[in-house]
Amino acid sequence: MKHFLSAAGVAALALALAACGSTSDNSTATGGGSTAAAGGKVGVDFPRADSDFWNSYNKYVPEMGKELGVDLMPPTNSQNDIAKVVANTQALVSQGAKAIVMAPQDTGAIASTLQSLESKKIPVVSVDTRPDTGKVYMVVRADNRAYGQKACEFLGDKLGGKGKIVELMGALSSINGRDRAEAFRECMKTKFPGITVFEEPTEWDGTKAASMLQTRLEQNPDIKGIYMHAGGVHLAPTLQVLKAKNLIVPPTDPKHIFVISNDGIPQEFAAIRDGSIDATVSQPADLYAKYALFYAKAAVEGKTFQPGPTDHDSTIIQLPNGLEDQLPAPLVTKDNVDDPALWGNQVK
Amino acid sequence: MTESAVPDSLAVRSRGTGLKLGRFRDLTLVPVIILLLIVGSFADPVFMTTGNLTNVLQQQSALALVVLAEALVLIAGKFDLSLESTVGLAPALAVMLVIPTSAGGFGLGVPVALAIPLCLLIGAAVGAFNGFLILRFQLSAFIVTLAMLIVVRGLQTGITGGKSLFALPPSFLYLGSATWLGIPAAIWITAVLFAAGIVVLRFFRTGRALYAIGGNADAARAAGIRVERVTWVVFVISGTLAAVAGMLETGRLGGISANQGDGWIFMVFAAAVIGGVSMDGGKGTILGALTGVLVIGLVENILTLKGVPGEWRNLVYGAIILVALMISRLAGGKAQD
Repeated sequence: MKHFLSAAGVAALALALAACGSTSDNSTATGGGSTAAAGGKVGVDFPRADSDFWNSYNKYVPEMGKELGVDLMPPTNSQNDIAKVVANTQALVSQGAKAIVMAPQDTGAIASTLQSLESKKIPVVSVDTRPDTGKVYMVVRADNRAYGQKACEFLGDKLGGKGKIVELMGALSSINGRDRAEAFRECMKTKFPGITVFEEPTEWDGTKAASMLQTRLEQNPDIKGIYMHAGGVHLAPTLQVLKAKNLIVPPTDPKHIFVISNDGIPQEFAAIRDGSIDATVSQPADLYAKYALFYAKAAVEGKTFQPGPTDHDSTIIQLPNGLEDQLPAPLVTKDNVDDPALWGNQVK
Repeated sequence: MTESAVPDSLAVRSRGTGLKLGRFRDLTLVPVIILLLIVGSFADPVFMTTGNLTNVLQQQSALALVVLAEALVLIAGKFDLSLESTVGLAPALAVMLVIPTSAGGFGLGVPVALAIPLCLLIGAAVGAFNGFLILRFQLSAFIVTLAMLIVVRGLQTGITGGKSLFALPPSFLYLGSATWLGIPAAIWITAVLFAAGIVVLRFFRTGRALYAIGGNADAARAAGIRVERVTWVVFVISGTLAAVAGMLETGRLGGISANQGDGWIFMVFAAAVIGGVSMDGGKGTILGALTGVLVIGLVENILTLKGVPGEWRNLVYGAIILVALMISRLAGGKAQD
């Protein structure tokens, strides 16, 4: 964990040097020919620019690129549109990318792009999502099933194995939303059969989340737990609904509703500190950026990896179409919310 | 259930009371609403409580204002797709002007009290710009406002950097979260604005002019109505209403996400059209549009109370809207346009 601190320091230094660095990046990119840097250029496509988590990731990528000495091309952004991922990837390849880092939010429709990249011998690192088919060099994502599992165990313990819980779910078309929901459901069924779970399909939408939570609390005033799939979209609406019902009270109060979130953005940490929510699972935006580029660089250099534990507290598992490095995602509560290694504490 | 409602209204019509019924054309969704109330009270005992019905109204108030705005534009024979983006941009930009940089704002030190007026002004400005392009440049309203939908959303994503705004001034959240006389302020505000819309469009000359313009702009011009000016004012008003909607929604949610209002426009058109507002202009009423909003709100509420699985929710939702359309068509006895 210590090396994150130094990483932040290096990143700050890199930022200071960014002015001259970025111009040279641009010139190599537009030149399109071969470069002096060892290995070759890495093209990165960002999935979207409208969520807090992804904005942090987008910010970490150039910083980590400097740190790892990766020859980054100017990143593209596909705005949560699979058609744009395909177009951006083609553009990056024609500009001379030797490896691609992408985060396809639609894990099915990316298949043909992956095939054509494979035929061109361009390795792909997929961040956050696991493509259903098509060759990938490495998938870099936190174990989303572990999020659901951790949330289930936390709420189950706090509620003593009985009571009612609202689960504000993400979009079911995304593998991360599905993984969290399935793991949570399974764990609740086997470990805490006495708990009733209301699953609310919010589609990552704050408006829907607020309405559904408000309605459910009206119907079941004895709800004692809330699991939010994404703090970035669910936190503010949840707090607003609870505030309107005067339900933000200390855990010692019998009226207290235990709230656990996923993401680990700074606003969730603030809410944990002031006691309005109880916990979150931190999704490591910094590690996503770092290891995406780490593996992209390794791919360009021709290295290969084997399934098994890694040197950074994670495990590489074998997929039918490649490998996946499952990064750790720590549970954050009042006890460790001030840990400076958490990425949510490093964002300004 | 649907069986019983349909033949009744058909029977009434076939007895030749069409003339009288014509006055109630804007209320063709009332049987649908009654049906939903009956279904809802069977579905869950909580449904018919004041608490739940108040929640439904509060949840729909912001959407309702956008529907009001869209109904005005549609009646005047134009289109405004950009309203959903104004719902996000107006509050976001207004708030960023007043909050410090540490909270994600511009740090300009603009007094906090100006946040609400600024929000309304931004909405009005977007509407005025739409009007400028459509009326002065003579561009198609559909394509102009489609482009503006993207531009306005893009502007919000650009200035916020895609981040949600959390640290908002309490005064800005007040109207969307306060309760007056036991009922959320948002409901009062929406009710007053709808009442104003109904009265103006029914009893005032400028209001009646919207129907004339939407029905036949050339005839309206010949009759001495200043078509361009009135239409322009309609765009400004609807932009402002979308900004009010954005402000109320912000108060309800306690934050402004980069996608606030995203995708609303489909619901807005659905509500307006099932409420009897014509896409071709000149027809429909504000009261009708309001019934459309109520239908959508009640359907959403019942689906949530019943806990319809997420995978099937949209299918059920869309199917119910189709059925509502058919019932209102049969009850109204008039071809949809």
